[in-house]
Amino acid sequence: MTQLSRLLRATTLIGWAAVADAQDDGQWTRPGKDLAATRYSGLTGITAANVARLRPVWTFSTGVLGGHEGQPLVVNHTMYVVTPYPNVLYAFDLAKEDYPLKWKYRPAVDPASTGIACCDAVNRGAVYADGKIVYNLLDGHTVAVDATSGKELGKVRVADLKRGETITMAPLVIGNRVIVGPSGGEFGIHGRVDALDLATGRIVWTGRNTGPDSSMLARTGTFKPFYARNAGPDQGQRSWPGDTWKRGGAPVWGWLSYDATLDLLYYGTGNPGPYNADQRVGDNKWTSSVLARRPRDGALVWAYQFTPHDNWDYDANAENILVDLAVGGAMRRVLVHFDKNGFAYTLDRATGEMLVAEPYVTVNWARRVDRATGRPVVDSTKLTGASRGRIERICPSLEGGKSPASPAAYSPKTRLFYLSTVNLCMNWQSTEAAYIPGTPYVGATIPYTPGPGGYLGAFIAWDAATGRKAWEIREKFPLWSGSLATAGDVVFYGTLDGWFKAADARTGKPLWKFKVGSGVVGAPITYTGADGRQYVAVYAGIGGDWALLSGDLVSNDPTDVRPPADFAPDLARYTSQGGMVWVFAR
Amino acid sequence: MGLRTLGLLLVGSVSCQPREEGPPPARGAISYDQHIAAGERTPTGDTLANPSSGSAEAKAMGEKLFAAMNCEGCHGTGATGFAAPSLVDGRWRYGGADAALFHSVFYGRPRGMPAYGGLMDQDAIWQVITYLTSQPIPAVVPTQAWR
Ligand code: HEC
Repeated sequence: MTQLSRLLRATTLIGWAAVADAQDDGQWTRPGKDLAATRYSGLTGITAANVARLRPVWTFSTGVLGGHEGQPLVVNHTMYVVTPYPNVLYAFDLAKEDYPLKWKYRPAVDPASTGIACCDAVNRGAVYADGKIVYNLLDGHTVAVDATSGKELGKVRVADLKRGETITMAPLVIGNRVIVGPSGGEFGIHGRVDALDLATGRIVWTGRNTGPDSSMLARTGTFKPFYARNAGPDQGQRSWPGDTWKRGGAPVWGWLSYDATLDLLYYGTGNPGPYNADQRVGDNKWTSSVLARRPRDGALVWAYQFTPHDNWDYDANAENILVDLAVGGAMRRVLVHFDKNGFAYTLDRATGEMLVAEPYVTVNWARRVDRATGRPVVDSTKLTGASRGRIERICPSLEGGKSPASPAAYSPKTRLFYLSTVNLCMNWQSTEAAYIPGTPYVGATIPYTPGPGGYLGAFIAWDAATGRKAWEIREKFPLWSGSLATAGDVVFYGTLDGWFKAADARTGKPLWKFKVGSGVVGAPITYTGADGRQYVAVYAGIGGDWALLSGDLVSNDPTDVRPPADFAPDLARYTSQGGMVWVFAR
Repeated sequence: MGLRTLGLLLVGSVSCQPREEGPPPARGAISYDQHIAAGERTPTGDTLANPSSGSAEAKAMGEKLFAAMNCEGCHGTGATGFAAPSLVDGRWRYGGADAALFHSVFYGRPRGMPAYGGLMDQDAIWQVITYLTSQPIPAVVPTQAWR
């Protein structure tokens, strides 16, 4: 039997029923699966006992080479795939053998956006709501496409390339509001979120991440920060010198979550600009923070800054996963966030009180996070800025202890979080930066070095109630993929050298792996097929920061030939670019 | 503050266009193969040349400009490539002749190279080109081997 016919046979309708969790409809309609962003599926067809029999049943080349971050959606037996620039949207018919395309949507995207995007032309995916697929184009537009016909229903400009803004994040729909925000923390943007009306595309409100209360939608009586130091008017303006908040960054390139009971939208903000901290003395609120807003009118309800006066490009764009946990003996409604700064935070999501903050990777820029004030206790020898010269060996590197690009998952069965971590440190030399619109507003040279221990990444399981690591799987290269947790007690992740792997959710025992061709920087999903079986899908397609850092991964441009990254010189020995959708079943 | 001042000083009016917009060339003036693969050759009739070529002073100034005008943020420290392509690998998308390089910086290029024509005067653009073209090109680029 040929390889091809074997693959085709595997996709025929065999009719094994996956034992589905009563709450799980077998679809994947939002970036993080649910509004709480858990990336947990109740499907139990694939278990720790049978995952070793997992095999590829279908693949599709997206024809695009950029970093394939994010995840497909599966709605009504249709799989929706958004590619990196030029942001093609594919709709595959999962009810037919071979998964043929129903349609593909190819928007006009300004190629200039590929030069303005800081870190490869990535896109973190789409969201489904009300018969529409909604996602963002790199050049600053939000589009809504009819999920059935592929017809463009609307296209709205929400970011401006000329001001260094692009969009890479996946929107979230809450009721009739589509929430989006721009990237551009390296371009001196003025960060914000916009809420669009799902039916008309009209911008209903804009909430800035820095600046006076009026533009931040921080209203007396509604804005109630937990810590006393954050009370008082215009925090987002007064914690900056002069008008530097206007180009102070705070992009929104990560993930959104929503608690319906509290009616709060949560999102993280990115780094302050420029990187040279001397040019922005003060806390620089609300950069490198989590903000809680009311989706109806955008009102800011609370904010918490993970890294005040961020000296290290520690964006806080990582997902905020909403779960209920017993912390210190009491059940708390918490938000769990693995920050680039190396600490894992468990916050009370109603108030913004910090409950637990422990390092999940090697951290040396701060000694700890003070429980009483919620502030990190910074090691002053690790502070940066043009006046301080070159600072050696800061851990973690600005890639983050975990990248916000690679979202974690949570299993309510094991009560553990699962995440990809990066074991790198950095040296930092700042210089004065000049603001020129549409060009980088950075002012720093930051080479990386391997972290301690002789490995560059690890997949870990984390107990957010106590702030302890349950187990880890060390990897040769930094890990940059999202995670998937399932009720079958199997967790999934991918590696930069192109392995897609499954491990036992309880013990961390490696159970299965398959080489998908290109490094994995996307996030796996799982769904029930038209035949009732459980499938797992993931993108291959290395990119994102790795396209910049390991420039020798690029093989399609004879005019751009670069040496390997000195901290991971042999990555290109194992992988190169190439976007593929993979689907597995047992 | 030094570099920042430098960047701002350079924002000035551009005194003349790099290439005269004369009447269109007569049919057949440029052969078809030159048109589709101009490579490193300056197009017929164009004599744009770097006036500061080889000047050590221009090279030093160009290096400062490369950082001050934020070229470094996209092309990487030492122009070795980052979000934007390497400018020191001896290979060019749009040509490595003086005229082509000037065009790239002055008018920008479609896939995200900003037009610096309104931000830097011509002397400054030539200085930065002098810096780029005086960088050593790595000896063996085509082969990357592992042991
Ligand atoms: C916003 C990012 C950005 C900045 C800032 C930037 N460049 Fe570029 N540059 C690019 C990109 C992206 C390309 C490739 C464009 C294309 O292929 O269309 C490019 C192309 C070029 C090229 C042509 C390369 C070739 O292979 O033909 C030159 C020369 C160049 N840039 C020089 C500079 C100089 C000098 C500066 C500063 C004065 C600068 N760039 C600033 C992004 C940038």
